[in-house]
Amino acid sequence: MLEATNALGNAVLSTGGTLTDPSAAAALAVGLAALGAGYAERGIGSAAVGAMAEDDDLFVNGLILTVLPETIVILALVVVFIV
Amino acid sequence: MSAAGSSNPEYVVARVRARRGSLYGDEEYRKLTRMGPAEIARFMEESSYGAEINALGSRHGGVDLIEYALNRNLAQQFEGILDWSEGSLYDLIARYLRKFDAWNVKTVIRGAYTDADQSAIEVDLIRAGEFDDRRVRRLLEADSIDAVVEVLEDTIYGDPLREAYAEYEETDVLVPLENAVDRAFYERLLSGLGNDEPTRQYEAFLKAEVDFRNATNALRLARSGADIDPAAYFIEGGELFSRGSLARLARNLDELVEYIADSQYADELGPALRELEEADSLIAFEHATDRALLAYGDRLGTVHPVSITPIISYILAKEREVENIRAIARGKEAGLSADEIESELVIT
Repeated sequence: MLEATNALGNAVLSTGGTLTDPSAAAALAVGLAALGAGYAERGIGSAAVGAMAEDDDLFVNGLILTVLPETIVILALVVVFIV
Repeated sequence: MSAAGSSNPEYVVARVRARRGSLYGDEEYRKLTRMGPAEIARFMEESSYGAEINALGSRHGGVDLIEYALNRNLAQQFEGILDWSEGSLYDLIARYLRKFDAWNVKTVIRGAYTDADQSAIEVDLIRAGEFDDRRVRRLLEADSIDAVVEVLEDTIYGDPLREAYAEYEETDVLVPLENAVDRAFYERLLSGLGNDEPTRQYEAFLKAEVDFRNATNALRLARSGADIDPAAYFIEGGELFSRGSLARLARNLDELVEYIADSQYADELGPALRELEEADSLIAFEHATDRALLAYGDRLGTVHPVSITPIISYILAKEREVENIRAIARGKEAGLSADEIESELVIT
């Protein structure tokens, strides 16, 4: 199994597959980070809306907590500039 | 408000947690036990029961007003929870709330049996279950038990009621009908539950409730010494008893107490069982089971923060609050002292 993986890796490298291109890898990193942030915001957002429905004063707190996972995307964006 | 799609525990839990904060605490109960019925109503008007007290205030007064406002508020809150939930979450919550459907069916059957008029039955219903307004209306309009059974034909109560109705016609007692309703409810309660960790915790809670119900019934039968077949009152699904063991134990009080004291509930119920042996009072035992369930419910609320368990925990706490306020109001009406009423409350 392991040898097969190695052989596969060599084959990809020697043919110059797209994923070995640094900017493509960086794009993938940002994309995956955004996906993660989106999933996190889904849960937090629905909880925040629920809490707001009970008490309007929670709007600011809810908003802040909902956008917190967005920092993951910003950090991932750093990768784009360093490659 | 459907069982389709994925579940949304985050939303429901956030709302329920906010509401939990506004439940009465020790401090409020202490104040309430020192008030008269009119003051209790005013106190409730200033808290989360305001809308209900105002809506019913012109038609009812005194303890009745408190009672109806409590029922309506309970119904509204639980309907709300069912409205918000989707997917498997809806299914899990509806399972438990169907007990209000069972309660309503029994109330309507009793009403039809005693020829009570429609509005008298209506105020005693708690519309927190799954039945929609149309079905409740048709239930209320049914003027005989036969008609009630017909309205319920396409629900889970249809077949069991139809069978029990034959027995009712022979004997003219309501017990078989009421047992049929209870059994239909409990059968659905525990069948086909999922297998993830929060659902297992929920299942353990439901089983404990069935066990306690069986234990209380058996204790009552054993103490009264009445010549009733205990197996007829047995509820399936619990872990503590089987139909056979319950029938055997209900004949002998000492053996039954010993059996419960050796079970997995020994820690929670031990002191109450000792009291039962000494003072021969079932009330302490019933309170101990209530307290054990409530403590279990509180624990459920914190283990799995985003799942079914905090929601059930809230439903239990709310039910308990309504029962406590009712006990205070009824106790005041009967002229009990504040200390006596406080001993009747179940507060964790």
